Amino acid sequence: MSTPQAFIVADHVCKSFGAHQVLCDVSTHFNTGEVTVIIGASGSGKSTLLRAINRLEPHDSGSITIEGVPVSDDIATLQKQRCDVGMVFQQFNLFGHLSVLDNITLAPRRVRHTARAQANAEAMVLLRRVGLHEHAHKYPWQLSGGQQQRVAIARALAMNPKVMLFDEPTSALDPEMVQEVLDVMRELARGGMTMIVVTHEMGFAREVADRVLFFDQGRIAHDAPPDAFFGNPANDRIRAFIGRMGA
Amino acid sequence: MLVALWPERWSRQQRSNATLVSALVLMVLALSVLGQLLSFLPEPIGSNAQAFAAGARTTLWLTLVSGTLGLLLGTCAALARTARWRALRWVASFYIWAIRGTPLLVQILFVYFALPALVPGLNLPDFAAAVVALSLNVGAYNSESVRAGLLAVPRGQTEAARALGLGRLHVFFDVVFPQAFKIALPPLVSNFVALLKDSSLAYAIGVVELTNVGNRIQSATFQPIATLSTVAVTYLLLTTLVTQISNAIEYRFDVEGRVK
Repeated sequence: MSTPQAFIVADHVCKSFGAHQVLCDVSTHFNTGEVTVIIGASGSGKSTLLRAINRLEPHDSGSITIEGVPVSDDIATLQKQRCDVGMVFQQFNLFGHLSVLDNITLAPRRVRHTARAQANAEAMVLLRRVGLHEHAHKYPWQLSGGQQQRVAIARALAMNPKVMLFDEPTSALDPEMVQEVLDVMRELARGGMTMIVVTHEMGFAREVADRVLFFDQGRIAHDAPPDAFFGNPANDRIRAFIGRMGA
Repeated sequence: MLVALWPERWSRQQRSNATLVSALVLMVLALSVLGQLLSFLPEPIGSNAQAFAAGARTTLWLTLVSGTLGLLLGTCAALARTARWRALRWVASFYIWAIRGTPLLVQILFVYFALPALVPGLNLPDFAAAVVALSLNVGAYNSESVRAGLLAVPRGQTEAARALGLGRLHVFFDVVFPQAFKIALPPLVSNFVALLKDSSLAYAIGVVELTNVGNRIQSATFQPIATLSTVAVTYLLLTTLVTQISNAIEYRFDVEGRVK
């Protein structure tokens, strides 16, 4: 492996909601081409870190940089950074009033000023990649949860992001639909995409991750490659967590 | 309902367009032949048919102008009410509070009689004064309907749009507003229909609209049943046509097929 490059760097990041501190002094970095899986109990700050990276949830102190540029409230920089950082949400958040095709082409057309015909063509390529090209003209409500999530992934990919953030992408899905979404993500990882995935899918973490971060009470409690993480749990807390998740 | 008239195989957009066009044509047609139609009726309607028709046109015109201004005003007030800037929120809240807490009749009289005294030189003709008062009034109600729509759009929609790198204006106009408008449409239509009827209060400052015409003829001929019935039926005709137009718009936005 060539020397990994830190794409996103979090340095002493803190964040509180009222009196409750959700991120306590979190420092880490995410390298280009690496798949990082973040696990941990709910409320441990995993999602908040993800949301702080594209400033949906501004952090209180410390710094987050993307390719060396700090994430701040500066609108122009932030918009540019958000174009480089694709995000997939637990609840899909597809735009209900737009067709699948329009959901995907909206951002390229508005932000990159891509012509509609070209944006449509590119969207069809993405839809084929997630196996949904036959559903291009449907509306989100006509799709199953798994299909909606795959559209959401295609929508994020349409901006050609350099990194993809997944915030519990399969937690809102029926069990039989989880695989189809994980398959798409696995395919993405194989293609070399830099990914940060918050998930409870231990199998996915074992198989796809280059690195597993364990969050506990707003801190990174453990950071290890999946083999070491699952094969030789660092402490009882992690062992108990893995046991509960059935991995 | 007009929307149900069109063939099943037509797309939503085609049906919506067909309804819109036919409702508009019907409305123009109804207004232009209303005079002729009424002239076939016995006295006292027949001889006053043209006055009725002119009154109906004034009523509709008054409603369309105030309705359009009221929609713009309502949207602006709703945005101000949800704005980040505290002063803006305060101004909007004050406007809504003042308008909703006072009778429309007082507002119309105020614009016509008190405004010229307050602002010398601002002598609005009766029609314009009625438009100002009605727009302000319906605007206040519209703003709450639009605000309800804005608040009903899930937060995740804005977050997804922002996460895609869309600018603030695009987030609003491409993602939030279309969905908010769809939610706000039924109450907005109610407000519009209410406006059509409330425009009769312009009678108080001498605007010769439908109610005014009816009352004049009624008192001149001593035939209240015939004249006031004609007035009522004409209002019904107008509100029915307006409802058809709004149904077509609602149908167009209903991509989920929830409107039965």
